[in-house]
Parts: sequence; C-alpha cells; structure tokens
Amino acid sequence: MAKQNKLISDFYELKVNQIMDRRVWDLPIIEEKDDIHNVLSILGARNHIWVVKDKQTKELVGVITEHDVLSILAPKNLPSYVFGMPDIKSIQHGTAKTSGDIMTDKVVTCGPDDKIIGALNKMVKYNLRRLPVIKDNILVGELTLHQLIRKYYAATQYHPMVEDEEG
Amino acid sequence: MISTEEFFNILLLVAAALIFARAFGYLFYKLKQPAVIGEIVAGIFLGGVVLFFFSGQQYTVSNYVFTFPRFDYFNGNEFKLLAEIGILFLLFISGLETSISKLKKTGKASTLVAIGGVIAPLLLGIFSGILLNFSMQESIVIGLILTATSVGVTARTLMDLHVLDTDVGATILGAAVIDDVIGILLLVFAMGLQSTVVNAVWVGVKIAIFFLIFLYLGLKIIDRILDLGEKIHLPKAFLSISLSILLIYSFFADGAGISGIVGAFIAGLLIGQNIRSKNISEDIKTIGYGFFIPIFFVWIGSRFWSESGTDISTYATIGIFAIVVIIVSIIGKILGSGLGAKLAGMSSAESLQVGIGMIPRMEVALIIVAAAISRGILVDPVAHQILVTTILLSIITTLITPFLIKATFKNVK
Repeated sequence: MAKQNKLISDFYELKVNQIMDRRVWDLPIIEEKDDIHNVLSILGARNHIWVVKDKQTKELVGVITEHDVLSILAPKNLPSYVFGMPDIKSIQHGTAKTSGDIMTDKVVTCGPDDKIIGALNKMVKYNLRRLPVIKDNILVGELTLHQLIRKYYAATQYHPMVEDEEG
Repeated sequence: MISTEEFFNILLLVAAALIFARAFGYLFYKLKQPAVIGEIVAGIFLGGVVLFFFSGQQYTVSNYVFTFPRFDYFNGNEFKLLAEIGILFLLFISGLETSISKLKKTGKASTLVAIGGVIAPLLLGIFSGILLNFSMQESIVIGLILTATSVGVTARTLMDLHVLDTDVGATILGAAVIDDVIGILLLVFAMGLQSTVVNAVWVGVKIAIFFLIFLYLGLKIIDRILDLGEKIHLPKAFLSISLSILLIYSFFADGAGISGIVGAFIAGLLIGQNIRSKNISEDIKTIGYGFFIPIFFVWIGSRFWSESGTDISTYATIGIFAIVVIIVSIIGKILGSGLGAKLAGMSSAESLQVGIGMIPRMEVALIIVAAAISRGILVDPVAHQILVTTILLSIITTLITPFLIKATFKNVK
C-alpha cells in the first residue's frame, strides 16, 4: 500500500514534458481561417483539433471538439429565453464557415514544466480529456488522459517512471 | 419588519409568479413568440387578479361577508428586491455572453447601423417627449428606452427566414448586440444628468474613477480573485465569488452614480473574458433564468396597474402616448439604422430590411425604465405612464417585427 502511495505521488510530481506527446507534426492542427469542411474531414478521424493562427508559428487560438461540431450540425433551436449574444453558428443556416467560427477560444492549457498533478486537477475541474501544452502561446505538444493512464499503468508494472524522455 | 404571515404570503405570491411566468411563457413559446412576452403578460394578469380580488376587497353574498386575503405585495419592497436582483442577473448574464473579441470584429456596417439606430430614436424620443409636455429628464429616459434593439427576437426571426448568413442578417445581429451596449452605457450619462451643475463635476469624477478602477484594474486582478475561488474546496465556492463580484460591482457602480445595472454588466463582461467563465455561466443561468429573471418580468408586468387608480381616462392618455412612442420607435430605427446601412454601401431595399430588423425592443428598454424609476428620475404618475408605454412598446414591436421582416424579404426575393 505504501508503495502504491509512493508511486502515485512520484507520478504527480512528474513534469508535463516528461509525458506529453511532442510530435507536434502529428497533432490535429488547423488554421483559424480554414474552411469548415476541413474541420469535418479531420474530425471524421480524430476527436479534437487545435486551432492555430497559422501553421508556421503554431500560435494556439482555440480548440474544436466533436461537441462543437454537434452544436452546428444539429438543427439550431434558439432558446426562447436568450440575453446577450445568441449562439447562431449552424451549418443549416450557413453561419459556420471557418474553423475560427466554431472554435472555443477560451482554451485551458498547461505548460511543459507544469506538474502532472496540476494537469490532472485541470482535467477534473474543466471536464477535459486533453490539454494543449503551450510555451509562449505556441503549441509544443499535447497531454491526453490516455497518455497519463498508460504512463501510470506502466509504472505499476515496474517500468521506470522516466524512461523514454527523448520521445 | 414584515410579520410571519406576510412573509409566507409573499412566498406564495412568488410561487404564483413563477408558475404563471412559466405557464404563460410556454403558451407564447407554442405560439412561436418569445417566452419573455408571456412572462410579462403573466405579470399583467397576476397583477390584475391581485389588484381586483386580493387587495382587501369584501364581498357580500346575501348576509355573508367574504373577505379575501390580501396578496397585494407586488408594490412591496420585498418583491421589488427580488425583481431588482433579477435585473442584475439579466445584465450579468448579458455581459458574460458578450465577447469583447467578437465585438471588436464587428464590421463597419453593423457599427454604422447601430450608431444610426441609437441616435435617431434617441433624438426622436427626446423630441416627442418634450412635445408631449414631459420634462427634459423624462424625455431623455423616453429617448433612451428606444435605443436598444432586442437581439433575441431579431435573431429568431432571421433564423426562421434562413437569412442569417446574408449581409443583412449578419449586419442586423451585429448591430443589435452593439446598440445594447451603447444603450446601457448611455444610461450612465442619463444618471449623471439628475444632479445639479455643481454635482455634475463630482459625478463625472466618480464615474471616471469607477471605470478606471473597475474596468481596467478589474481585468488585471479578476483572474487572481477567481484563482482564489478555485482554491477554496467548498461546494460552489467559485460561484459564490462570482456572485459577490457581481454584487460588489453593482454597489460601487451605484455609489459612483452610474446605476448598479451598469456595474452588473461590466462584472459580467470582465468575468466572461476569463477562461473560467465556462464553469460559472451555467450556474449563474440556473439561478437567474430559474428564479430571479422570471420574477423581474412578472413584476414589470404587474406594474401595468397603477397603485393610485385604474380609471379609463388614465389608460386612454397612456394609450395615445404609447401609440406615439411606438410609431417613433419604428420610424427612428428605420431611418437611423437604414441610413447607417445605406452609408455602409447597402442597397435601398437592404437598408430597409436592416432598419426593420432593428425594430424590436425588450429587455434593455424595460431595464432602463426600471432603473430610472428606482433612481427617482421618474416619479408617479409619469413613471407609471412611461412604464406602461414601455411594456406596450416591447410587446407590440416584438409581435409586429417578424411580419414586417418577412414582408420585406418576400418583396426582394
């Protein structure tokens, strides 16, 4: 039991960059001004896309998940009770044209030097399964719940906590 | 202090208000009208029932004397308090849902339409107020009521017509959002006008201080305050902190002579920019939409009935005044917003569509009236006149606009 505790507390203390997926070229990325059809095409295979200002600099500006697409794909019913800016983005009404139109621009992120415990807390708090890893607003990697689970399980199987640091 | 009996009577009235609000709201929703109108009508209905049956009347049937219990609490401070909290929630939510970055992206056309659509009705409103023998202050309030277009009503109509993706649709929607903000900000100046010239400078200074501290510094420190909220591991601590920010902002805005509702809007705007607003927004809506906001609309509706008397001539005068205001409100938006659209390079037919699309008035108009009354800028009987007029204005502009928009789009197609 004590050993388990030690394991999990070591796990919490790991840095994000020791676990994250650093293959930025392999991450689902799209530019803010890209057409909505590109979004649909990527989301047919992946379940999220990071939206960047342009693919050269990779400055993160938003994220699109399957749920964002659900809300523009389903028939739009404006609630009968709406104050402030109404959400009118919809494929049916032609108001969702670019990835910038439908992305969520408030992205919960983490830094490469953050501790895993912080990332886990963010995932719980905001109900997320993945976090973009950001350094000076530039996308440098991605941390998924999947990776975290794999890493922790591997550690319980007597694999060293930090092994393939080069990725 | 209210007695225990009164307290529970008030609670019963609150329950009735909620039930009728939702019942009438649903009825209007089924009629393809905004639920808000239903809630106001619920208020008119309940207010009437209370006034005519439950304000201490006695009925004699043969030899028996029936005394109905008293439920005339719509005029009381307790009910009013709940309604005024409703206003704060409404503006807080509007602020939360308004994205500054999207506002910045609004095109030139929407901006011109919004500005034209604020100036023309404002001036026409003030002008007709003066012509109808209202004081300058009262006339300014009348003008202000006419400035802000209701986004919700317009958006739904455009959606029904499938014209949201046209230039006209996008322009109307953008403009409707901007003129809400302008309308609320103009209220700041109207509030300042109450004071004497000597005070005016002091009020000006207070307003400047308010904006400096609560807008600029707010953006910088709100993040840290919300951070704190995250660290307190108690249920909904985060929500409590957000609500406190709302109330504190309202308090200081009122203290600065700006009216608390502007504070609520700014608090919403600031928190809405924060990454954590996703979490807060839903909780705030649960409380606001579920309780305080319907109470506000029912309360506003119940004010349809005057405390001092309900003779026909009072309502006849109001009726004539309301007709004038409604006509002015329609002409004002068609002229002002239409001209704005024309300046932005739209065709005459499109400009007319834009002008008509901007006609509906609702939440902001009602809020401005309520604020002007509670600030003492409007006093009875004028307060009652303008309030009833605003209720009629909201209902009628909301009901006729879909028909007008449909007619103009039909001609073009």
